[in-house]
Amino acid sequence: MNTDGLNLIILGPAFLAGLLVLSTHVPLGQQVLRRGIIFIDLAIAQIAGLGVLWAHAMAWEENALTIQLTACSAALLGALALYFCEQRWPEILEAVIGTSFVLAASAAILILANNPHGGEHLKDLLVGQVLWVDLNQLVPVALLYTLILFVWFGFGAAHRSVLFYILFALAITASVQLVGVYLVFASLIIPALAVRRFGKYALLAAYLLGTAGYAAGLVLSALLDLPSGAVIVWMLALFALASSLIIARLTGMSTGVGKE
Amino acid sequence: MKHQVLSVLFALLLLPLNAPAAMRVFSCEPEWASLVTELAGDHAEVFTATTAQQDPHYIQARPSLIAQMRRADLVVCTGAELETGWLPVLMARGGNPGVKPGTDGYFEAANFVPMLGVPQRLDRAEGDIHARGNPHIQLDPHNIERIAPALAERLAKLDPGNAADYRQRLEDFNQRWQSALQRWDTLAEPLRRMPIVVHHDSWTYLNHWLGLNQIGTLEPKPGVPPSSSHLAELRETLKITPARAVIRAPFEEARASEWLSKQAGPVMLELPYTVGGNAQATDLFGLFDSSIALLQEAQP
Repeated sequence: MNTDGLNLIILGPAFLAGLLVLSTHVPLGQQVLRRGIIFIDLAIAQIAGLGVLWAHAMAWEENALTIQLTACSAALLGALALYFCEQRWPEILEAVIGTSFVLAASAAILILANNPHGGEHLKDLLVGQVLWVDLNQLVPVALLYTLILFVWFGFGAAHRSVLFYILFALAITASVQLVGVYLVFASLIIPALAVRRFGKYALLAAYLLGTAGYAAGLVLSALLDLPSGAVIVWMLALFALASSLIIARLTGMSTGVGKE
Repeated sequence: MKHQVLSVLFALLLLPLNAPAAMRVFSCEPEWASLVTELAGDHAEVFTATTAQQDPHYIQARPSLIAQMRRADLVVCTGAELETGWLPVLMARGGNPGVKPGTDGYFEAANFVPMLGVPQRLDRAEGDIHARGNPHIQLDPHNIERIAPALAERLAKLDPGNAADYRQRLEDFNQRWQSALQRWDTLAEPLRRMPIVVHHDSWTYLNHWLGLNQIGTLEPKPGVPPSSSHLAELRETLKITPARAVIRAPFEEARASEWLSKQAGPVMLELPYTVGGNAQATDLFGLFDSSIALLQEAQP
């Protein structure tokens, strides 16, 4: 046990980053589940990450804006290609998404083949470094997410495919750089999955569950001195499992988990 | 009487403040933690950010890293871009102005040794961005000898009350180190010109010291799999000059070494790389004792 890390200055920015990510990813995740395109975030996140790596490889890293524009363009292109695929060949969409993920991941290895820090960049992209986040980094993301949430709830983006894909790409591009692919996937899918039987309280319940997962994960990672991102993923899953069991008991179903 | 009691109580209250508090040292790698312990003993409380089982190029963000950085009086790191992936961002998050680069609270070991493997020209296309040279300086004991006085001076400067003690400990360490150096040099004499392959280019300083003949590298870039043409070339090289051993660090996977060992026959050798890298390498002395013993096993 180690209580050194239990300090708001240390855990606070990471927690705020988590809240920001949850704010957009919970409603997006519910839509992802409804559409049955679970792995789309892995594909889009990997494509956005590929954009970042490409910008680095072209030595554009002096300009942070160029990097963000490259990442967003890459993610948007990927998302629109997937949207086109959904319209044209809905029956093979999931297979195309999976293939795009593998292609983007392999392309990253090729881009980094001549970079002595290649392995680190690849790992950073996946695991993320949520504890390194500082408050200044959160400001542009907060602005972007306010805009996304405004369009999402104001214009009913959930029901318009094109808008969904665009907002999804922008949200993921920002979050994957803050917290990494694993946490992005967990924030999208796990709360949405846990609350799918909660009816009209689903969104609120998913937000609460996500917040509890991040808070517990950060505190536990401080106490056990383990990498925070991975502990948060596990806490999100444990809270989701517990709430599924509770709701199953309450609604009188014998086994609520894994049974659709 | 009452005054006396009060003054004794007052003195008791002050006692913990008068007792010299240990300096808090944040060490990026275990070898520097070991050196600080040699030179400072109980005067320093040392935290080590990485273990021998971790690649110091890359570490995961853990809460304790930030907590320790915030309260450190002295940060001791290799430098030479070894920690660029995490130290700057950790320092920014730690927000401890006393240990910023350029202040006395920041000690960069690489500043005190002659660097090897400095690129002739800097070209991104060649992929080598270690502009200051190979950063794995701890594997030449002569480098430890060069760094120790500078580190002792820095400790003395930050903690002047114990300055004499740091100098005394340095002298003692130097004596023990010199006799160990003589022992190692004698033991390592037969290892000269021994042909080896390394997993990654982390052994330049060991090769330089022992005169090992490095004829190839399995993984030119850490974490990025080598190309097939590179491996084919390595196999051809080994046909002409067979290597005795293929050397890797504890944090490097054995699979590439196994492949080469099967293809071309060199003995697989996991050297400790730093303090804590195996059961024998409990301090800097053990690090070199064990490295030489293991190399001798590969030499028939």
